[in-house]
Amino acid sequence: MEYLGGVLLPQLLHGVVFGAALGLLALGLTVIFGLLGVMNFAHGELYMFGAYAGIAVIALTGSFWVALVAAPFLVAAVGALTEVATLRPLYRREPLHGLIMTFGLALIFREGARQLFGGDMRRILPPIEGSIPLLGMTYPKYRLFLLAISSILLLGIWLFFTRTRAGIVVRAAVQDAEMLDGLGVNVPRVFTLTFAGSAALAATAGLLLAPVFTVYPQMGVEMILLAFIVVILGGMGSLGGSVVAAFVIGIAQSLLTLWMNPQRVAIAIFGIMIVVLIVRPRGFFGREGVLE
Amino acid sequence: MRIRTVIAVLGSCVLLAAMTAPAAAQKVVKIGDLGSKVGVFEGYGKYQTMAIQLAVEELNAKGGVLGHKIEIISEDDDTKPAPAVRKAEKLILQDDVKLLVGAVSSGSTMAVMDVTKKHKVIHWNSVSCAEFMRTTKFHKYYFSNQPDSRMQANGLAKYMVDKMGKRVYIFYTDYAMGQSDGRQFKTALEKLGGEVVGVAGAPLDTKDFSPWFGAINQSNPDVLFLAFAGTDSLRLMTQLHSFGMTKKYKLAGIDCFLLQQDLPAIAEPMEGFVQLAHYSAYNPDPNMQAFNAKFKKKYNVDANIMAGAYDAVLFWAAAVEKVKSFDADKVAEAQEGMCLDNTHIGRQCIRKEDHQVVMDMHLYQVKGGKNLPIAVLAGKDTIGEPMVGKDPVEGFTWELKKKK
Repeated sequence: MEYLGGVLLPQLLHGVVFGAALGLLALGLTVIFGLLGVMNFAHGELYMFGAYAGIAVIALTGSFWVALVAAPFLVAAVGALTEVATLRPLYRREPLHGLIMTFGLALIFREGARQLFGGDMRRILPPIEGSIPLLGMTYPKYRLFLLAISSILLLGIWLFFTRTRAGIVVRAAVQDAEMLDGLGVNVPRVFTLTFAGSAALAATAGLLLAPVFTVYPQMGVEMILLAFIVVILGGMGSLGGSVVAAFVIGIAQSLLTLWMNPQRVAIAIFGIMIVVLIVRPRGFFGREGVLE
Repeated sequence: MRIRTVIAVLGSCVLLAAMTAPAAAQKVVKIGDLGSKVGVFEGYGKYQTMAIQLAVEELNAKGGVLGHKIEIISEDDDTKPAPAVRKAEKLILQDDVKLLVGAVSSGSTMAVMDVTKKHKVIHWNSVSCAEFMRTTKFHKYYFSNQPDSRMQANGLAKYMVDKMGKRVYIFYTDYAMGQSDGRQFKTALEKLGGEVVGVAGAPLDTKDFSPWFGAINQSNPDVLFLAFAGTDSLRLMTQLHSFGMTKKYKLAGIDCFLLQQDLPAIAEPMEGFVQLAHYSAYNPDPNMQAFNAKFKKKYNVDANIMAGAYDAVLFWAAAVEKVKSFDADKVAEAQEGMCLDNTHIGRQCIRKEDHQVVMDMHLYQVKGGKNLPIAVLAGKDTIGEPMVGKDPVEGFTWELKKKK
């Protein structure tokens, strides 16, 4: 019982908290994959922009909460501009062009942040400090807040995609953009708004995780690799699959560290991704034919 | 005619100035200050520069060294061995430094040792504590006044087993320094009858340590021994505290775990933390207080363990004056066995065999954000045998020896 409360339960909770935040990041990535047909390599940098935008807003207003609202909008604007200026001209070309473009954008964004904010590590203090006793253990309040807000956002996104017309339009665009165009929907606008929304999600994840991981120009690269694994395991383009895979990865990673060094766990998770790519390229919930 | 006269007079003046200038200006000797100036070990690098500046200012006020004004060239090594090597070569080949102090990270210092050996330059290390520098990596031009892993383990392990608890979990930063500390402390603890119930390494500059906490809790140690430094230590302590682990376990760490300046910001998580170090601004020792007074007068902040870099410059300058030469071979020989009375902790001597300064140390415990002394450890009791060219813990294994 002591083992359960003192060891297993905290690890499980770590996994759920991290999985929820990872889900936010991976969702945006999988939606963009559905639209562009390629992985957005710059998604990690949008996550990083979220944290830096948060720092800028906090410096101006002194409030994390204002930053949590403003930063996603700022990064969404960057996302929209990026989509219109660089990706829209490539939609009718080979997917490889988009892949190379997002890779280049990632490099530009990362170096841009380094020039603008410097290469030093920066810290955002958690807006909720302290810890509380929980089921026989001590747990930081901020991490519980992180779990709550990420879960609410994930639920909100699910409702958006399943219960609203706009969400259904985006899903239709992901499934078959040409058919949607034929039905008279302004598809380029849908693409731009979806890209902006995806950027906002990444930014939200970036700012929410900043008090845990700190802020530095490389932060996106480290997280995006895990998000890629989540998207591949969940099934490319599958929204539900990404969320499930994010929690699976978060919990598996956390529990495995009880028996393995976390560095080895990271390698093991990459190993799982390689096996899935070979045996079932469409992932657990992916559409038939995707990556097959 | 008038123009020719003016040109002739001007030309004579320029010629005269050119001939007399070198004779009038004092000659300059350059020394290199290499280390982390930004990033995870930024604090150590910055205080190293300050300590060197203080020593140079004092020496220059007395006419410099061998009639030469000392000039410092500072370089940032990005806390990585490759840039450290490049910067060391720049300092030696381009700037012609006669002394190199640095680096901060053990990995960088060991890489730089190859450069100072190759180019025959006096090299002082005042903070890196991996055990290999005075054993397997040792060379003639290398000197150290930083207590290395072996000295620290010899000093702190006994206190841990006697006063804190026998079941110890070793958590270290996974590169040269932390691995060395882990090896030495595991060996020393097991020799003293302690039980190492777990060991784990986290990469340098880890942002979230919580993935390691489950394994620590699973081992349920009496003492959590931490071999981290800089911003890694800051993050680790903050996170341990937020998970209630600073109250659950007794905590001990290496000498460079955190600089005194960082303590007030995390006073609560650090309360009761035991570490061993050669210096604290809160130690009533008259030598330490005298040094702190002049450091504080110049910089308006307390000195810290990086004060060793001040002594490094003094030892080198004294040796240069003794042999009346900047020749590295002669200076190295003069430094061997040399004693100085005016270091930051009073009289100190360099051991001839492995060029390690025999430093007296104190055990400190953090109370209210201050490192307060709780015990004295004589340098001769912790330094151990000279082991140049040998592995001090030969046959070491990370395997845990479970006690029944």
